[in-house]
Amino acid sequence: MGAFEYRQAEDIRDAFVRHGVRYLFTGMSGALMHGFAEALPAVEVFAEPCPANGRAIVQALSELGFALSEGEAEAIVRGKDFVRLRNGPFDVDLVFAPDGIETFAEAWGRHVEVEGFPVCHLDDIIASKEATRRRKDEESLPRLRAFREYLRRRP
Amino acid sequence: MAADEEIEIPRDLWEDFEAARRRPLATRIRYSFIKTYKPVLDDAPFRAFDTMEEYRRWCEENLPEWLGYGRV
Repeated sequence: MGAFEYRQAEDIRDAFVRHGVRYLFTGMSGALMHGFAEALPAVEVFAEPCPANGRAIVQALSELGFALSEGEAEAIVRGKDFVRLRNGPFDVDLVFAPDGIETFAEAWGRHVEVEGFPVCHLDDIIASKEATRRRKDEESLPRLRAFREYLRRRP
Repeated sequence: MAADEEIEIPRDLWEDFEAARRRPLATRIRYSFIKTYKPVLDDAPFRAFDTMEEYRRWCEENLPEWLGYGRV
């Protein structure tokens, strides 16, 4: 399995649209959509935590080629807070309750569209990284905050 | 840090941001996604955690510190 490609981002988007998945690109993959460039290993998706959305995700991921067992599908339908998938054509982290963001509905209300991809607002991405207090996030936050400031100031 | 706090952006960083934003999204994706093996973390094809706290704790207890998943 190689690194993630634009075509695969389109595949996710198209499959999620077909199955009516409610989701947003978030984390560094969301920041990338905003124009921020930093190395990242996997796509991070914030999905609405409800069984209907979970079932739609399972259908979409199966269609994309993810090999989900019954138990793994059930974990997604139940909306466990964090699901890490390395059993498909690319790596995906599904986050149903990201740190620092209260509800999916609130994040959806602030989201932006980038080339047809639904993306968390940069403020939410930064708030979530601040809330994790992980060392790797602490290291990337100054650059990410500077990028937000750049977006505000650029002509 | 408050979202409205003014931040100084060094000139070279500003130029980096400009260059990145000029690239099409497809190019940014091609340059940014880098597949590197992460010990322990990548050793299972599927992991799920009931809560984010459980996930964070698992990372702290099981992953090498240098991966940066521990909390400061």
